Formats: sequence, C-alpha cells, structure tokens
Amino acid sequence: MLDGQVVLVTGAAAGVGRGVAVSLARAGAVVGIGVRRPEAAGEVADEVRDAGGTPVILRCDVTNAQQSAEAIEQLIDTHGRLNALVHNAVSNRSSEPTDFEHADLDLWEEHASVTVRATWRLAVQAHPHLRATQGAYLLMTSPAGIEGSAPLPFYSAVKAAQRGFVRALAREWGPDGIRVNSIAPLAVSPALENLRATDPERVARIEGLVPLGRLGDPTDDIGPPSVFLCSQEARYVTGQTLVVSGGRFTSL
Amino acid sequence: MTALVIGTGGLARSIGEHFVSAGRSVATITADAVFDDRVTAGDALRSAVGDSVVELVVLAQLDPAGFATAPITAITEQQWDDTCERSLRRAFIALQQAHDLVADGTPIVLVLPNVGAVGVAGLVPLCTAVEGIRVMAKAVARRWGARSITVNTIGVELAAFMLGDTEDRSGTVPPVPVLGSPALPASSVVDDVVGLIEVFESPAGRAVTGAFLMADRGTVMLP
Repeated sequence: MLDGQVVLVTGAAAGVGRGVAVSLARAGAVVGIGVRRPEAAGEVADEVRDAGGTPVILRCDVTNAQQSAEAIEQLIDTHGRLNALVHNAVSNRSSEPTDFEHADLDLWEEHASVTVRATWRLAVQAHPHLRATQGAYLLMTSPAGIEGSAPLPFYSAVKAAQRGFVRALAREWGPDGIRVNSIAPLAVSPALENLRATDPERVARIEGLVPLGRLGDPTDDIGPPSVFLCSQEARYVTGQTLVVSGGRFTSL
Repeated sequence: MTALVIGTGGLARSIGEHFVSAGRSVATITADAVFDDRVTAGDALRSAVGDSVVELVVLAQLDPAGFATAPITAITEQQWDDTCERSLRRAFIALQQAHDLVADGTPIVLVLPNVGAVGVAGLVPLCTAVEGIRVMAKAVARRWGARSITVNTIGVELAAFMLGDTEDRSGTVPPVPVLGSPALPASSVVDDVVGLIEVFESPAGRAVTGAFLMADRGTVMLP
C-alpha cells in the first residue's frame, strides 16, 4: 500500500509509535524513525527492516525546532520526498496522574511543548514536502482527548487541542491536497506492560471494559488504520479522528 | 453571594452587565494577563471576590490575538503562542484558581466559540485552543463532581463571542463553515447564554456536568 513511500514517525522508539513504524514497513514504506536518542532505536530499526521496510534513524526531539527540521530535511536529502508524517511523540510524563489543583505551569509546558507546539511546528516544517506529494499528516491523539480523563487533565486538554487542530488544518490544507487526520488508540504501552507485571488484576479489569476483550496491539491493531490514513486509499478522508479502541469508546 | 465572571472580551463584559442589571453581585477581572501565573491570578480573584461567597463562575476568556486569521505557515512561534497556547495556559490557571474559591455545589460555566467543533481555515490556533479548553473542562468536571461542582461549556457563534469587539476587528473573522444557515432567527446572544447559565445554576441542571451545549441558533449541529 505504501511501496517506496517515505513516512516520518515521531516517538517511534516504543509503544504505539514503534508499532506504527513496523506496520508502515510491512506496507513497504521507507520509515523515518524519529527518536530523541538514536542509540536506542537499533531494535526498532531492525524490526522495520525485517518487516520489509527501509529504516532511517533520525534524531528528532520534537521540542527542538532545529532537530525536527533536520530530521525532515535528512529524509528529503536521502529519499527525495515525504509522503506522510505521523506525530506520535508525547511527553514522558503523559501517563502520570496530574494534580490539576496544584500543578504548575512547568508541568503544563512539558505536555504542551510536545503535543501542541510540536504539532504546529512539524506541520509548518513538513508543509512544502507534503504539498509536493499530496501527502498526509496524521496525529496520534487519545480517547482522553475526546471524553476527558479525571487523572489526566493536562493530557486530555492537549490531546483535544490536537483534534481542533486536525479539523481546522484539514480545511486549511485541503486546497493543497494534503489530508490531516488523527487516530485515538487504546493500546498496550510500556507503562501498561509494567502495570501488568505489578498489578495484573487491574490490567484485567481494564481489558474487561473492552468489548473485544483485550487492549490493542500497537503493530497489528493500531498500525493498519495508520497505514490506511497515510495511504492514497484514504484520499477522500480528512479532518477526522478514527477511534481505534476495540469498541471501548462507542459514544465518541 | 457573587457571580465571578472571568474574561475581558465583549461577551464576558456583556454577561457581567446583564447580571448587574438583574441585581446580582458580580466580580470581574479586568486584565487577562493576571492569569499568566498562579500567584497573581489567585490574588486577583480573591481581591475581586472579597469576602463574598462565589455562587457561580463564568469563564469566557480567549486571547483576542487568536481571532486574527492567518495560515499556520505564515505565523512565528511567538504568534502561535499568542494565538493558541496562551489561551490554553490561562484557562488552566483560571480554572485552577477559581476552584480554590468556590464552595461545593458551585456551577462553573465556560463560554467558547463554536469554531473548534468544525474547524476553520485561517483559525487553526484558535480552534486548537478552544478544543483543548473544552476537554480540559470535561476533565475537571470529572475531578470536581464529587464536590457537586458542575462544569459545563456553552458554544456560541464566533462573532457573538466577540460581542462589542467586532468594530475593532471587522474583516478579520471569516465565516464559519456551516451545514446551512442558522436554523433559528436572530436573538440576543447574551440572553441566550445567560438563560442556559441559569439552567446550570438551577436544580434542573444539577445532574448536568461535562456537557457542551450550543447556543448558536443551530448554526453547528453536532453529529
């Protein structure tokens, strides 16, 4: 579906980002593996290669404007184009419960810099390249950004902000032929795997809320819809959020 | 008993004036910049409220910079902050500090333009901020429900949000993409918004929290 197409994934070292990268590789893409620490990206690069894709490890701390610009330019220099950008990176503290009533602006900044500001900046940096390929910009948002989460109010707010961004930018970039969408996944994460080891009953309770009876696999469950939205198969889809949650969220 | 109205734009001012004309005690904040840090915001709110008990909080606050239209590729990082992120930060600080002041059972009502629900080209930063604030309100509605504090949001037409400010910014507001014309004839947006606020304050609204109700004459009808 994506033979020879060039896709950059931010936050690709682990979790959903890693799964999306591997799934893109299965579809034949050249995958820019955007990570803060390139030395930690060897395993995912091997997985991308084993899956049939071409990995390109890129230093890309999305809070660093120069790094994200250079990551995009490096892909352009080596592979000539950018067909899609998947912004998946989140703050390291995204899954930490937030004490909204006593939180300070420094914590807000940790969330906003990665999920709000970088969403805008990456869009600006990628725009001429995506326009050239009639490409796609895909954001990984969250069900929390739709229904609001009591323990994660900052995460909820910044993920919701991404949805407003998607709707408006889809209208703004439609004339350029660029599609803008988001996915709200419910998937296994490194944090959840840790929880499974320490509190398996709690994980079982969470899984019990999902009609399909399990949390999504980043590669096999979240990856394919991501491939679809990056591909020309979705050429008439823009401004949308696709909830990929095994039916956990049916009213969003 | 005092209604605390936060926001210096046209609609916030008009809501405050409406409450005063109805005989209510109203506390207002005259500078949005006080919400740039927690301590200043807390001091400003306590000073505005004095010894009164806060019986209602209305938050209708967005940075007016966000109403100027521009493609996102044409703005600087500082302009992105001015038009989007500053409003998000101020909403967080305003909600956090207002929460400190209110008693159990106090309704908190946010008023936002309806643009975030549909998206508007040229107003990406504003749409981003509005949706972030709208779901921030849902998250705190879940957090504060145990204290019977309700948190709801009213959506209004963009021009209505700028009520009284439109002359200063004529020509900067694009039409909101709509599925059709407003379903209802013209009405007073202040009356419309205050009417819904009164429902949230009444026993009829006690089970309503985390809701988003449009008071935009049926301009945007959500799926």
